Amino acid sequence: MGRGEFAIIGTGEVPCGNYPERSEFEIAYRVARMSIEDAGIDKSEIGAVLAAGHIMSNPSCDFNTEMYFGRLPEAIGAKGCKVVASTISGGASSYSIMKTAEGILHSGETDTVLVVHAQRFSQFTPNEQAKFFAIAGSDVEWEVPYGMTYNALAAMVTQAYMNETGTTLEQVASVCVSDRKWACLQPNAMFNNKEITVEKVLGSRMIAYPLTSLMCNVLADGGSAFIVTTAEKARKVSDKPVYILGEASDYSHRVITKAKERDFGKWGAGFTSVFEQAYAEAGVGPEDMDIFQIYGSYPCISLMVMDAMGICEPGRSGELFERGDTWPGAKYPTTTNGEALSFGHTGTGCGFALLVETVRQLQGKAGQAQVPGARFAVKDCGGGAFMDIHATVLGNEIPG
Amino acid sequence: MSEEKVSIKDLLGLSDEDMAKPLPVPTDWSRPFWEGAREHMLLLKKCSKCGNIDHPPYLFCTECMAEEHEWIEASGKGTLYAYAVNTFGVPFPFWDDMPYVVAIIELDEGPRMLSNLIECEQGKIKNGMRLEVVFDDVSPDVTLPKWKPAS
Repeated sequence: MGRGEFAIIGTGEVPCGNYPERSEFEIAYRVARMSIEDAGIDKSEIGAVLAAGHIMSNPSCDFNTEMYFGRLPEAIGAKGCKVVASTISGGASSYSIMKTAEGILHSGETDTVLVVHAQRFSQFTPNEQAKFFAIAGSDVEWEVPYGMTYNALAAMVTQAYMNETGTTLEQVASVCVSDRKWACLQPNAMFNNKEITVEKVLGSRMIAYPLTSLMCNVLADGGSAFIVTTAEKARKVSDKPVYILGEASDYSHRVITKAKERDFGKWGAGFTSVFEQAYAEAGVGPEDMDIFQIYGSYPCISLMVMDAMGICEPGRSGELFERGDTWPGAKYPTTTNGEALSFGHTGTGCGFALLVETVRQLQGKAGQAQVPGARFAVKDCGGGAFMDIHATVLGNEIPG
Repeated sequence: MSEEKVSIKDLLGLSDEDMAKPLPVPTDWSRPFWEGAREHMLLLKKCSKCGNIDHPPYLFCTECMAEEHEWIEASGKGTLYAYAVNTFGVPFPFWDDMPYVVAIIELDEGPRMLSNLIECEQGKIKNGMRLEVVFDDVSPDVTLPKWKPAS
């Protein structure tokens, strides 16, 4: 698919946090309406409705099934809807569902697609959440019986990255500090009322060395939506379309023992070619980027991704975070919603939250977090137990 | 003040079911591995066509897709590639085991395996150290291969 063939023209999002009374359905309906209103289109124009579903479901909650069976277009009265589908690949869903939307648009079936995600983790007990996330991050047969956890996995990868690059613990903690600074500018972020320091991050409870509790995610309720159209339609109906300029991906593994790059410390270097492909398709490079949106989920992954985004020597991104180059007002605005660590981890939705924030930024609608005059941004997401990496370059213009 | 450790089970009022350790449920193609473990043998699935050794094993060879295979007994020796010491925030059945070590072992035969590193002082754990397999009979039916420093 060519550069700038598709565009996002509207977004919607609900506050992220602990909202046990707010059902997935309520979230989905509200964010759908917000995105339609934000796009300034009539809901009858929507020809396809895509849902990312939630990653953790329970027998009493039929949200995913209802999405498969077409509840959403009926509930919002999208009478022109022709295609209903769900696409889910864990934390990578914002990318894979965008690819689904692009395929539908490319086919000519419709020129307007609504994409929705909703999640309510608070319906589960802490025991259910701990159990589920042990299983989600690890292999039920080969890893879970050994007490393997997502955090242990991230701890291993963090150690390998630090050994490979000489990155310090303070630099790892600096990612959390930067994320929190941005979250404090976000009305919808879960943790937006108090900044944190490197000392506080390193002094919080040790989970699995070197990961402390403030380097780990907190599961949260939330959701967001966006409207994707062809570029042609976008130009007609929107003052501020945000174009998909370049996309590239790579998949590695399900279980960590099968990782394609066996040296975990070298993952960042491997991600580089993915970003290079995305930049090449976009026709703009790292020097043109105004914003760097990273869904790392753990600070060491953020460092690996930043290494690959092309603005520093691989292995040196810790210095950027430590110096505050990634903070609001600084040279390389990075992860402007605070992502999983500070915005809140909504499972499938982390990549969505970062995508709708990127669109807001490029539309000049990012409020206090607005990066002045932002034209281009690069974003990543990934899912599973660090199974894949997806790079997207977006812009509010199509480079010549 | 009592020095006695309060169990997470009592603290949170968890059931026996909540506290039951998850055990592997073999698939048709992994069953020989677990049967071997019960006999205290570390078995690996080797493709009869291309010689590739898969762990975890799948239905067919992940290199050449052939189903013909044999189970070979591994040397039980390997090297520590990476590890993490879980000190908080684990699933409740493992709560009372903290701190415990999860580790990635590179088998001398090539594949990697995730397991626990046991019988090793935490201060002495070092990536690259030589390890050997030990078999932990966790139930009458299930034995988990674990690893300790090579003697």
